[in-house]
This record gives sequence, C-alpha cells and structure tokens, in this order.
Amino acid sequence: MTYTLRLGTLSLQLARRNLLVGLGLMLLVLTGGLAALHMGSFPVGAADLWTALRGDMEDITRMILLDHRLPRVLVAVGAGAAFGLSGAIFQSMLRNPMASPDVIGFNAGASCGAVLAILLFGSVRFVLPWALAGGLLTAALVLVLAWDRRRGTGLDPYRLILVGIGASLTLGATSDLLMSMTDEQRAADMAQWLTGTLNARNLTDAALIWGGLLLLTPVLLWLQFPLSRLTMNDDIVQGFGLRLAGLRLVITCIGVLLAALAVSVAGPLPFVAFVAGPVARRLLGTGAPVLAAAALVGALVTLGADTAARLVPVVQLPAGVFTAVIGAPVLMWLLVAQFRKGAL
Amino acid sequence: MTAEVTPRALPRHITPHRLTWLAAGLFVLVLSVLLALRMGARPVSWGDIWQSLVAYDPDAPDQFVIWQIRLPRVVGALLCGGSLGVAGTLMQALTRNPLADPGLLGVNAGAALGVVLCTIALGISDPAQFIWAALGGAALASGLVFTLGGNAPSRTGRLILAGAAVSALFYALIRGLLLVSRSSLEVYRVWVLGGFDNVTLDMVSTLLPFLIVGLLLAFVAGFSLNALQLGESTAQGLGVRVGLLQLLTGAAIVILCGTTVAMAGPIAFVGLIVPHLARATAPADIRWLSLYSAVYGALLMGLADILARSALFSGHMQAGVMSAILGGPVLIWLVRSKGVRAL
Repeated sequence: MTYTLRLGTLSLQLARRNLLVGLGLMLLVLTGGLAALHMGSFPVGAADLWTALRGDMEDITRMILLDHRLPRVLVAVGAGAAFGLSGAIFQSMLRNPMASPDVIGFNAGASCGAVLAILLFGSVRFVLPWALAGGLLTAALVLVLAWDRRRGTGLDPYRLILVGIGASLTLGATSDLLMSMTDEQRAADMAQWLTGTLNARNLTDAALIWGGLLLLTPVLLWLQFPLSRLTMNDDIVQGFGLRLAGLRLVITCIGVLLAALAVSVAGPLPFVAFVAGPVARRLLGTGAPVLAAAALVGALVTLGADTAARLVPVVQLPAGVFTAVIGAPVLMWLLVAQFRKGAL
Repeated sequence: MTAEVTPRALPRHITPHRLTWLAAGLFVLVLSVLLALRMGARPVSWGDIWQSLVAYDPDAPDQFVIWQIRLPRVVGALLCGGSLGVAGTLMQALTRNPLADPGLLGVNAGAALGVVLCTIALGISDPAQFIWAALGGAALASGLVFTLGGNAPSRTGRLILAGAAVSALFYALIRGLLLVSRSSLEVYRVWVLGGFDNVTLDMVSTLLPFLIVGLLLAFVAGFSLNALQLGESTAQGLGVRVGLLQLLTGAAIVILCGTTVAMAGPIAFVGLIVPHLARATAPADIRWLSLYSAVYGALLMGLADILARSALFSGHMQAGVMSAILGGPVLIWLVRSKGVRAL
C-alpha cells in the first residue's frame, strides 16, 4: 500500500511500511532522548523537563539540563545520524553490506592524527583539527591510490576496499607504536579518544554537527536517486547515462564528509556506521539504499549506547564500548540472515 | 573477481634451481641467528656463543646473556615467523584467496581478545593456561569470518571486509576491557606491538608442542589441499572429503596463529607476504609451499627483530608493529601492480 503526496508538479510516493517504520523510529529516538534527559545522578522529573522547556527553572536543574544533558543528547543523535548515513552510502556504493567509512581508511587516519596530537601537545586540546586532517588526508590518499585510470569506472569497489584496508593496517600499527612511546597519562587519553566518547559535549558541538547535517540535507535528498542506480551492475549504470567515475567520487566525498562531521564531535565510535544500514534495510524489507532510515537507526544506536555508558556507576565508560557490544549481535545476525538466504 | 592461486604452468616437482632458493634461505637464516646472538648492548665473542650452545655455564655472564636473553628471543622470532608463514599459506590455499592473512582476517584479533581477557582481566600469567583462551578466541574469530565472508574465490573483497569487521569488533572489546584499569593499559600497549622481548625458554618449551601439533596438521592437510585448488566440486570428485579437509586446515591455522599470539602478540602481514614470496620460488605444491613459507617466514621475522633491536629505533620498535607498518604499502602495491582482477 502506498500513499502519494503531490505538491504542484512534484510528487512523492510513500509505502505504508516505510512510513510506519520511519515514524516508529522517530518516536523511539524522541522517547530515548527524553529518557536520556531524565536519567542521571541528579534527578530531573518529567514535570521539571516540561518547565525547563518553557524556560523558567531554578538554576541548578537548568544548568544540568541545558549545559550537560541536552548537548550530549543532541550530539549523540546528530553524530549517530551522520555515521548511519555515511555507512549506508558506502554500503550502497560498494554493493556490500559489510562496508563502512572505515574501508576508506578515514577512521584509522583520524585516530592516527589524534594520537599524534596528544603525543605532541600533551593534552587533548588540539585533537580535533589533527584528527580531521589525518582522516581527510588518508581518505584523499586512498582515493588517489585506488583510482583506476585505465577503465572508465574510476573507483573499482574491490580496489577501493583493498587499498583502504592497506592504509588502515599501516596507520593502525602506527597509532599502536605512538601509543607505546608516551607516558601513562597520555596513553590513557589516547585510549579514551580512540574508543569514542560523548563525555562533556557542549552546545557548540551540537551546533556543529546539526549545522553540517542541515547543510548536507539537500545533497542527501538528491543522492538517493543516483545511489539506487549504483546498486546495479556497472554496465547497466553506464547504460542509464550516468557518469560512473564522477558519481562514485562525489558520493565518496559526501560519505567522508559525513564521517568527518561525526568523528569530530563523537570520536571514532565503532560499528554505528556498520550496523545502521543492514538494520534499516531489514526493517524496511528492501535492498535499495535507505538513507533516512539508516540515519534514524544510527541515531538510536548512538543515543542508546551513550545512555547506557552514562548509567554505569563509578567508572566513566566511553560510549564506544557499548556501540561495539551492540555491533556484535548485529554481526551474528547478518551471519544468520546469510545462512537463511542460502548465500553461503 | 578471480582469485585462483595455483592453476598455472608451474612444475609441481622440485628442481635444483628451486632447491637453491631453499638452501639460500636456510643459509641466510643461520647467518641471521648468529648475528642476532652476537648483536646487543653487551659485546660477546663468537667463542662465547659457541661455548654457551655446546656447554652452557650459567655462571659466566656472557653465556648467561646469550642463553637466557638472546637465544629465547631468536627462537621465538623464528618459531612465530615460520608458523605465521605456514598459516598464511594454508589460509590462502583454503580460501583460494591470495590476500588471506591471520591479521587481515581477524584470527589474530580473536586470539588477542582471549589473551587479554586471561592475562589482564583475570590476572593469569602462565602461558600454559592462557594459550587455551588464545586458541578459543582464534577459533571463534575464524569461524565468524569464514562464515560471514564465504570461502568462494569470487569473494575476495567480502572475506576481507568480514575480517575487518570482526577485527574491529574484537579490538573494540579489548579496548573496553582495558578502560577498566589503567595498569592493564600499560601492559597492553607494549604487548600489542608484537615483540619478542618477553619470550623465555620456559614459554617456548610450553608452547612448542602446540606449534608442532599445528605443523603436523598442516602437513596432513597439505596432501589434499592441492586438489582443493581446483575447486570444491573437483576436489570432491577426486575423492577428497572437503568438509573434513576444511576443518583440519582451519584447526591448523587456529593453533598456529593462536600460539603465535600467545607467545608474541598479534603480528600482521607476515602471513600475507611470505606465501607470495614462496610461490615465486617454490614448486606449486602446498607441501613444498608450506616448507618454503616456514623458512622465509622465520627469516623475515628474524631479520625484522634484528632491525627492530638495532640502534636505529632506540628501543621503541618491535618486529610485529614494524611488519604491519611496512605491510600496508606492500598490500597497496600488490593490488595496484597486479590489478584486483588478477589477484
């Protein structure tokens, strides 16, 4: 069953399942966000939430809500959405359910940059620019090395994956080496950053990620169309009249940009980009690219992981530990799903 | 993508020319062992080395250094390198995928999780105990990767991605374990580099039986692995019990890699590149390939350890991490020069 929205000459078809799943996910994210605002060592009741939203509130509750919990929730949702989008884009483009921005070496490069910054400056102050520079540089290098001039397709998916894995191998080992060369405090800082954490986020971070997402929204809306063509065979795509080489380059850049946004506010949270796509596709029951649903699933996973991390008493665990714990069952489930399909 | 490894016009039998390569490898190996025993902060003479090997006298300080510090280190490097070389050859033969490697396919990560769980979280320091955790982790990881990635040769990229996903998962879990206590991070960040600093003769003698079992399994599997290179159905037609063979080879890989990780930490890349070197010089028979890989792997790891110990790196470098850093560019070069389709 489908619904058709018409607006002048534009029309949009919505299947009922997509609509229900989308609304359900949104509702879950919203409930999760409110619950995350409510939970914590300082009790904030449901009634307080409402008054705080209206603006009149005693100072301490207001401070905790607006300066601590709200930015954190906003960043979790935004970064999760960006990771989910990035993963879904790479999975569709490379036609592989196990791809993620990691394949292009972005995370390994960002991690290496961050470790280097902590090693050089002794604190986490300059981590962000170094991490971004490291990630973008690595992505650019991988793109150049993987680019195939002889054939018209530009980026061959397998070639991209293999070159990216090679770059990740070297950069990961370099990070390990740098980490062993420093003192205990810096090593602990590095380990914390490498796991990905949402501790102590402020409204600037939230503005950064949401502003970036808003700017990219029109591009993402357009992207849905070429991306669904790209799931087909190379020859068919070129038969459609699409310029494969240029298209793959543009899509990769958008994917990297989204990953960069997310990493800059949340660190390299593992597995969010990986799980969002497969889960969203399964929820919608389709093999087509599902950007919006993947964004919502990513947001939900990150929010859940961060809230779980906050609820652990005594030690401050980074959210990255929990996204990995969520990643494990999804990996298993992909395995079982492939068994069922008889793909093995 | 085609990823057939062996079917090409190479003689299956040994020739004098090919034997020369093996002999040369062994010769350089012996030289590198002697160099590794001689080299170090404390100068020792050739006579001391000879004495300590023939008639060890624990009261002579020079001989003590050789026998207790340098020899275990060399033996560890050779055993690990050789085992990883054989494991890589088996993996590439089993998956008919020239990019299979214990590091890339997550087997090392699984074993590392086992070791970290035991040594750091539970405080077990006896290799005889945590080797089982390493083997269990390696088995879990390889089971996951091979089922997720499928072992058809047309799926090079998928297998590698499955390996990357499983590795990422296990390393994330390791990081989570480490965050609980800071002292464990101190141990881990040195261990993960994959060096032979902490290898003792006790450890070698504890772990050696495992390596021997792994090599024996590899030898037995080698008889049928040649047939598997022609494809599963052909192998079946030739009378090979494919399921049993896969299990046997898998067990050999798990034992070899798991033991290596327990001894020296996760070492990537040796298992990837050594089989390529072996294929260029050895007869196209898995048993010969394994033998050549063992020699070349031991040689590569021995030389890497000498280089890592040298004054060049002032004590910060380890053989494992160095091979991983150099491995990335070599992998990219392999992909670019041969072209993915030809791999």
